[in-house]
Amino acid sequence: MSSFNSLLEGFAGALTLSNLMFGLLGTFLGTLVGVLPGIGPALAIALLLPITYTVSPSSALIMFAAIYYGAMYGGSTTSILLNTPGESGSVITALEGNKMARNGRAGPALATAAIGSFVAGTIATLILAFTAPTIADWAIQVGSAEYVALMLVAFSTVSSLLGSSQIRGFISLSVGLVLGLVGADLQSGLSRLTFGNDAALEGIETVIVIVSIFALGEALYIASRFRDTGWKIIPMKGRALMSRSDLKRSWKPWLRGTAIGFPLGIIPAGGSEVPTFISYSVEKSLSKNKDEFGHGAIEGVAGPEAANNANAAGALVPLLALGLPTSATAAVILVAFQTYQIQPGPLLFTTNPDLIWTLIASLFIGNTLLLILNLPLVRFWIQLLKIPRTYLFAGIVSFAMLGAYALNTSTFDLTVAIAIGIVGFLFRRYGMPITPLILGLILGPNLELQFRRALQISAGDYGTLVASPLSKILYLVLFLVIIGPTVARLRRKMKAKKAIIS
Amino acid sequence: MTLKQGAKSELTFVGSLFVLGLIVFWDTWRTELPEINLTISPTLFPYIVSILLMVLSTILFIQVLRGDSALPEGLEPGAKIEKSDLRTFCTVLASLFAYLLLIERAGFVIANTVTFIGISYSFGNKKMLKAAGIAVLLSTIVYFSFTKFLKVALPSGIFKGLM
Repeated sequence: MSSFNSLLEGFAGALTLSNLMFGLLGTFLGTLVGVLPGIGPALAIALLLPITYTVSPSSALIMFAAIYYGAMYGGSTTSILLNTPGESGSVITALEGNKMARNGRAGPALATAAIGSFVAGTIATLILAFTAPTIADWAIQVGSAEYVALMLVAFSTVSSLLGSSQIRGFISLSVGLVLGLVGADLQSGLSRLTFGNDAALEGIETVIVIVSIFALGEALYIASRFRDTGWKIIPMKGRALMSRSDLKRSWKPWLRGTAIGFPLGIIPAGGSEVPTFISYSVEKSLSKNKDEFGHGAIEGVAGPEAANNANAAGALVPLLALGLPTSATAAVILVAFQTYQIQPGPLLFTTNPDLIWTLIASLFIGNTLLLILNLPLVRFWIQLLKIPRTYLFAGIVSFAMLGAYALNTSTFDLTVAIAIGIVGFLFRRYGMPITPLILGLILGPNLELQFRRALQISAGDYGTLVASPLSKILYLVLFLVIIGPTVARLRRKMKAKKAIIS
Repeated sequence: MTLKQGAKSELTFVGSLFVLGLIVFWDTWRTELPEINLTISPTLFPYIVSILLMVLSTILFIQVLRGDSALPEGLEPGAKIEKSDLRTFCTVLASLFAYLLLIERAGFVIANTVTFIGISYSFGNKKMLKAAGIAVLLSTIVYFSFTKFLKVALPSGIFKGLM
């Protein structure tokens, strides 16, 4: 019951005029970056981080969470009408959604995406409100040694599940860890990888890396490889509404999508690619209209979109309760917390209960605002897609450069930004996933800190790392995640060999 | 042995990741430890990370040699991998460096305008006059909203005293 009461108090906090305004602004900006291809929520929040200097923590975090949710809504619009996913969680939506739009059914596709997102978002946020405190209560007992294991598991799942191959994921992670090493070591003051540069002593700013790897890397990549492939918007006839039969076909996929998306958000599966894909396969195999799949089946939009939003809510559970981000956007929100000297984690629910419950309540409010923003106002967002790509990217790049410069008003940061931009280009060109790098950069220093702390407590006895049952289980999981893909590949090879022999 | 198209450049990239690992290792190895008693040396992590990076890039190097080339982002498996347009890449890069060089010398408005026009041109915009107009307008609006409303100081550059 205490969660329920706290949640009600949270609503009281969230319903103040200024918090509502920031929530509305966030949902608007979130939908905007979701709709526009090339900018995602991680980049948008990173660019807005400087406002944390002037705005109160609750207002800023409400806005950032609203951007996170909003991008999930906006992304589906672009997927359906443009066949270019606005953000990574909407890739699957494009499969069926765009076909529906081509068949003149853009309205129902947009409606099932938006309503499904709302249903999934509301249910998932409700579960979040009741599970996060419980997990936090339990996590208070989690010691440094277990944190080390937990972070290693997060690293390995994110690196294994994203991108084209496991090894590329792990290399991306390692590069992130290297970037995280730069600067003066906090415990000993030893400067690492600074090469005598004083500006590098404070380390590489996370925000700069995120802004430049997403914005500058993407601009370099798109300009030099896809410059001429512009986009074509499929016109939408009628209104974004769905018929009774559409609704009948949608509600089960919504619920199933929620059930798939939420748990996969809690475990570090590295964002929404995996759950949306699973939801799509499930709907395809359960559907009575199997032959419609590939030609615009509404179930194939409803399920993944619900999974996508439930996943976003699920990812907030480990972020708030453990301080462990599982996606790039969650990682940026973690940075936002840290700029206010607030450390998300088990203690957050006891040290800052007002803030956290206001934030959770604002998620419900934001979700409702988003439904309104995205259904009746969908034509407004479609208009935005008509901004020519040349100006869009020019705007994104110049804002990213401004963001990189304004953080410390230093040109050293700009040099770093350009260098990281080139890294972003190379990563895209050679199929390396970006998220492991971000996680490595943000969690790497944290991992080292917890590791040292654990060994200081045990006076240098490495046995402490695997002493507790939880650690043992986590290392077992880690082992399975690392060797899993290799075993699967070997088995496929063996099968193929057998098939050739027989 | 014949390599797939694009594999050569990928090998260079993976090789440079190995070099990055090597640099981290070398830099850690040459640093002198401060004389405080720490349970865990501040060089342990850099060593682990550098070895990890070197080992992984070696494995990937071998995989690429065996024909497991990367799939560039946004392409379907089996699609033809085209070469990057180097000229456009350089125009984008030049626009970024222009910002770096101009921001403190000529001021924000000029730096932002030049970069905006440069990027717009790189993406194939032919209407340069229109781009310039939008760039100047946008830069001025951003300048005043940052300095006046958000109280974030941006370099005024050559317009010092005017703005």
